[in-house]
Amino acid sequence: MSEPILRLNGVEQIYRSRNANGPGWNQVRAVDGVDLDIREGETLAIVGESGSGKSTLAKLLLLLNRPTTGEVQFRGTSLSALASADYQAFRRQVQAVFQDPASSLNPRMTVERMLGYIVQRHALATPGETRQFLAGHLAAVGLNPPESYLERYPHQLSGGQQQRIAIARAMMLRPAIIIADEPLSSLDVSVQAQVLQLMRDLHKTTNVGFVVISHDLGAMESIADRTAVMYRGRIVEIGRSIYERPYHPYTKLLLDARLSLDPRRSRIRSMSAAPSRSDSSAPAQGGCRFRPRCAYAVEICATQAPALKPVDQAGTMAACHRAEEIGALRARSAEPTVPSPLEV
Amino acid sequence: MSLSPLLDVRDLKVHLRLGPNVVKAIDGVDFRIMPGECVGIVGESGSGKSTMARAITRLMPNVNIAELSGELSFEGQDILAMPDGALRALRRGRGFSMIFQDPLGYLNPTQRVGRQIEEALSCDSSRGSNRNRVHTLLDEVGLPDPANVARRYPHELSGGMRQRVMIAIALASDPQLLFADEPTTALDATVQLQVLQTLYRLHKERNMAMAIITHDLGVVAELCDRVYVMRAGKVIESAETVRLFEHPQQDYSRRLIELSTRRLPRELQA
Repeated sequence: MSEPILRLNGVEQIYRSRNANGPGWNQVRAVDGVDLDIREGETLAIVGESGSGKSTLAKLLLLLNRPTTGEVQFRGTSLSALASADYQAFRRQVQAVFQDPASSLNPRMTVERMLGYIVQRHALATPGETRQFLAGHLAAVGLNPPESYLERYPHQLSGGQQQRIAIARAMMLRPAIIIADEPLSSLDVSVQAQVLQLMRDLHKTTNVGFVVISHDLGAMESIADRTAVMYRGRIVEIGRSIYERPYHPYTKLLLDARLSLDPRRSRIRSMSAAPSRSDSSAPAQGGCRFRPRCAYAVEICATQAPALKPVDQAGTMAACHRAEEIGALRARSAEPTVPSPLEV
Repeated sequence: MSLSPLLDVRDLKVHLRLGPNVVKAIDGVDFRIMPGECVGIVGESGSGKSTMARAITRLMPNVNIAELSGELSFEGQDILAMPDGALRALRRGRGFSMIFQDPLGYLNPTQRVGRQIEEALSCDSSRGSNRNRVHTLLDEVGLPDPANVARRYPHELSGGMRQRVMIAIALASDPQLLFADEPTTALDATVQLQVLQTLYRLHKERNMAMAIITHDLGVVAELCDRVYVMRAGKVIESAETVRLFEHPQQDYSRRLIELSTRRLPRELQA
């Protein structure tokens, strides 16, 4: 197993905000004690609902946020203690791609100026060779012919093309890992497939690793080596086969919330007319934080918070008192529900 | 079914003027909804699905319209030619309503949500009975403790609760047809399922026709009786949902279904 390139050690991130209705401050524990190793060349997906702390985790990995407690390590050194040479290496080797490509590209610069600046700043090519260097990288992310894209402004590109530019920008520095925060959610499904394909190709040709943050389990299943499920600031399950065999009730809930793609097996239409209530569960006081939403909660869940522990031989970890029992249940038949016309 | 359609659209064209060019946003679309039916409109961004809903509900934003033509009839009344007063009457009583992807953009941030629902109710009843109807509506869309929710401002509610408030506003006029433009795209998967369940229950209980505009074929498979697939301003395929999923006639539809199911093209599946 390769060396972890990034490591989180008991990381907590607390955001404070002024209380809207009176004196004092509100505290939000966006990330609440996360330990995580990210290995060289692996694709790690981080999934969870909004507010689970996924994006905060990405910011911590990119040193856009500093953790309130705990530390983030880059190749064994804490980010807060990086010497300047190591800091530069960190900035080069850990790159970012964001959700909305339009707002992560400068609207007033052509692609050539925008990327050319980075080439110059990091001395990736001599001024005479810059254009050729950029063309090579644009071609590598599937923008052909590359020269025609260099002259364009971001608004002259489609969403998928913009996202490719953002990926090319990250790839130019030969990063060891790219942190991508919801890179797919602003794209159409056909474009999503192309970007997923591009990520996989880049991984194959350059062994670049990815940390992909997403709420789309279907897309993550198709590219992730490992997947971490976050709930209210904590990792509740992490492993390679959580889609086929979830051990945590929250993972199971997320998987079951996926819409069926078989109209004959629609669950909503076959459901009884029982009113479905909006969920307004308050954070649990003590015990397991998922308890208010959990269908499997028992007495111990109210008193004792479960720790993340190994649950099978394959290295899956789950934070649930009843993980073994839940893992033994069969996940809802996940894939594929529609036979492909091409297969028949 | 020998019933006449609730909404009958023939050869709808919406051409927009964009600088020197004319964009054919909708280019000759036929579209029909029967009473109490749930129809899906799918397509990728730019296919014209939202423009179509806006043209039908006459909610076109004030852009340069180069051409707006076709036959648009709702219960036999011509919507395109309808004067504003009659259109308002239709929206207010048993006509059509619309909900959108982003409820926050359509709710007034400075008004309590109860007030905003009340505004959508017909104004012929007293204050007290209106309040009761607001609470009934909030309860009907699945919000717990309606009296409390009614006193909230939009920013105090979660995304799923806001969308439920939007649905309550849309239901206030007791519509026969509800247009839902990407109603759950901005919501988490677990919340999405709940909101879709609620929509389906209302559709059945009220025998209300629904047109769901979405890019997500899962939503269609779960809810819709019939589907229109749109691409570049045209309907390229329309079929019953089961038929579309099992025997898509167009390559484009087949590819959409395939990508939604397995996310990566076959050749790349390890």
